[in-house]
Amino acid sequence: MKKGLRYIALGFSISFIFLSFGLVYWQVVRSDALLNNPANRRLILMEQRVDRGGIFDRNGEILAQTQTTNNQKKRVYPKGEVLEPLLGYATLQHGSAGMEANFGDWLLGIKQATPTQEIEQLFQLPRQGNDVVLTLDYRLQKVAYEGLKGKMGAAVALDPRTGEILALVSQPGFDPNSLDQNWAELSKRSGSPFVNRAFALYPPGSTMKVITSAAIFRSGVNTGDLYNCTGSTVINGQVISEQNDKAHGWVNYDTALADSCNTYFATFGVQSGDQQFLNAVKGFGFGQTIPFELPVSLSQITNQARVPKQLNTNLLAASTFGQGEVLISPFHMALVAAGIANHGVIMTPHIVNQVIDDKQNVLYKTSPKSWLTALSTEEAAKIKNAMVAAVNDGTASPGGISGIQVAAKTGSAEPGGNDKTHAWYIAFAPAEAPQIAVAVMVEHGGTGGGAAAPIARDIIQTALNEKVGESK
Amino acid sequence: MKGYGLLRLLNLIILWVGLGVLYLEGRANQQILWQAGVFSALLLLGLVVEKITAYQGDPLLLATVHMIMTIGLVFLTRIRAASAMRQFWWASMGLCVFYLVVFVLKDYRKLGRYQYLWGLVAVATLFLTLLFGVTTSGATSWFSIGGFNFEPEELVKIALLFFLASYLSEHEEILRVGTVQVGWLSLPDWRTLGPFLIMSGFSLGLLAAQKSLGTALVFYSLFVLMLFVVTERPFYLGVSLPVLGVTGYLGYVLFGHVRVRVATWLNPWIDSSGDGYQIAQSLFAISGGKILGTGLGNGIGAFQVPAASTDFIFSVIAEEIGFAGAMAVLLLFLIVVLRAFRVSLRAIDRFGQILAAGIGILIGTETLIILAGVTKLLPLTGIPLPWVSYGGSSLLVHFFLLGILANISQVSAAGPFSLKNKVRGYAG
Repeated sequence: MKKGLRYIALGFSISFIFLSFGLVYWQVVRSDALLNNPANRRLILMEQRVDRGGIFDRNGEILAQTQTTNNQKKRVYPKGEVLEPLLGYATLQHGSAGMEANFGDWLLGIKQATPTQEIEQLFQLPRQGNDVVLTLDYRLQKVAYEGLKGKMGAAVALDPRTGEILALVSQPGFDPNSLDQNWAELSKRSGSPFVNRAFALYPPGSTMKVITSAAIFRSGVNTGDLYNCTGSTVINGQVISEQNDKAHGWVNYDTALADSCNTYFATFGVQSGDQQFLNAVKGFGFGQTIPFELPVSLSQITNQARVPKQLNTNLLAASTFGQGEVLISPFHMALVAAGIANHGVIMTPHIVNQVIDDKQNVLYKTSPKSWLTALSTEEAAKIKNAMVAAVNDGTASPGGISGIQVAAKTGSAEPGGNDKTHAWYIAFAPAEAPQIAVAVMVEHGGTGGGAAAPIARDIIQTALNEKVGESK
Repeated sequence: MKGYGLLRLLNLIILWVGLGVLYLEGRANQQILWQAGVFSALLLLGLVVEKITAYQGDPLLLATVHMIMTIGLVFLTRIRAASAMRQFWWASMGLCVFYLVVFVLKDYRKLGRYQYLWGLVAVATLFLTLLFGVTTSGATSWFSIGGFNFEPEELVKIALLFFLASYLSEHEEILRVGTVQVGWLSLPDWRTLGPFLIMSGFSLGLLAAQKSLGTALVFYSLFVLMLFVVTERPFYLGVSLPVLGVTGYLGYVLFGHVRVRVATWLNPWIDSSGDGYQIAQSLFAISGGKILGTGLGNGIGAFQVPAASTDFIFSVIAEEIGFAGAMAVLLLFLIVVLRAFRVSLRAIDRFGQILAAGIGILIGTETLIILAGVTKLLPLTGIPLPWVSYGGSSLLVHFFLLGILANISQVSAAGPFSLKNKVRGYAG
């Protein structure tokens, strides 16, 4: 019996050791993964013990704040719908989204916790989260919002020199103050107000031509050479036609971009070859994760996340003017405009200016960093000149502002089927020393010049009048 | 005693520090403190009585169980004050039962005489439960008499242990050596093996009919492991595994709720708000504890995990006192099990040896099955964690078994010469 008992004792000891491995697995190895499981209500419940920090714009305007009255905490958003869905929400019932979710660690004082916060966290004491100050300018945001209100689309404005996001609007939005009451209706509402369209993918249409330009330059095409546009052309058996079959006649590079001539870009784009084109789009960040504080969909050339190794001629021809399988987010398109404005260098975009704790100590501050060098200075200058021509004497003229030289490019992207085209407009100004770059996209808005340009113009005008982006 | 008295006082400190924290957080009320006062007084009284009567039973065993009990009471207070109130009362009753067994029953061997009566009691109780029992959460495992509920399964544990211990001590030789030759195997004859097979078949079948799968698993392990311990024949273990496998598979094919259990065990995240809710919430609680825990009263498991005060109490413990605390609780249970085996090794008669080993095996398997369930190592089968989960029947029965263990160790420590009764069997 002694021997039997020894075996059983050994068996039990080993089983208990296995149990302790189980504990190690859940409490150490998988601890963080389970914390992020959407069914886990821990973070939301923990939040009730924390005064979530505020969110402010660059001028100190309150965008989100927690108010405590009679021990009842309430998250209030004084600007209502203007910042939604960018700002997101944080409620007990429905969890969190947008910046409220992505900056949750800061707002709750979990990330880079101060020693006091660390102790409060350890003992789960009530504590004060950190405030997040954005690079956003509410005045500009409001102008962009007014422009897009009632439409479906997105507008993004940034400082091309620093990568600071100045405005980021997606419509339709929602009123975050009455979210819990209206949740059921909002989730069913058409146009999905919870989707941030600035980060969603759309065919870019002719705005893509500024990127194709880089491939054309690099293949040695003389930009002064003339090309006869007859309204349509056939490449590799595929008919490439102009919008409304308009014949542009004899065009060079500048006039081709200004008049948005599809056949010019298709012909010379295909002549440059797929490698030249794929290198150019890679240079602009296609197939790459954009290093931004919020998740942005990866822009793509074909129906896969990565940029392909090769591209067949028919797809290449369509891609040169932003059709085919090319998809890009309005946010990325704004970065493309900013790159051209900033002599070919795309700065790392950021929307957080700084994070401060409740005693006004700065815990985190962003500084300008370059992300990609998409173009050489000469290439950037050539594209800029053509974009200036587009505003002064081309399709982009509805975006012109008297007294300020704007450089811009329109796009009218066919979404497929018989739907109305998506209206695109990318611009920066002043052309000689750009301070702001903008991308506007209106879903099924029609032509870029008609639907998107006026919104971009208002944003640029306000920004330059109010000297947005200049240090306070 | 030799220094273990200090350990017992440490339990009081744990109890009162824990309750103090909860009182400051507003989770414990005055009534609970009074109940805890009575419980503490009984603990101290017990210590004094042990001193006076020169109690010689295993001191570490008692101190360890008290510590487990104390942790359980503190956490029950944290989870649900109303349950804790009653549990304190049960705990005090449990202490009384323990001391009654130690000082009044005195000699456990009296209980070994009614071998078949115990077996009959066990089967009859289970049968009556099946007929007249109350069904809660799918299992028919409650008896309700005059507004007073208890779980007969727990009582059956005692009856079965006594049956097994007396049966095995009597038929040990034949079970080990065998009398019938089947090929190269030497098996016991039917007359010897019959009662064992009939008993185990009956009790397991009745439990399965009640859908008390966890308890059925505990009993099955008890039968097999005790048989193995006594005979030391790996053959019995070898036979038991395929039988368990086939039975489990049949259960899986036949019963819908078994399939659900297995499916949520394999992937609780698929339906973490439906069938997988319990286990998912349990894992969320456990994982939130990390190494040092969230601190007493700070976890979410206490109100997020279903059945937090009974089957899932360990999840709450693991959350609030972390990996460190959960490991401590695991070790305490392991100490109890190994200590019971030590009592078994030192017992002076076969019946006592087998009984003590059986009690150790019972506590060990109960602990393993429920803890492996809440940590998703095994499919979940809800059974109480001994001395910790809320519930009077389980608590009283386990204190009774602890009393028997103390009894066996007391008798062996006092030596065979002090015995009034004739020694049954022989020491191994």
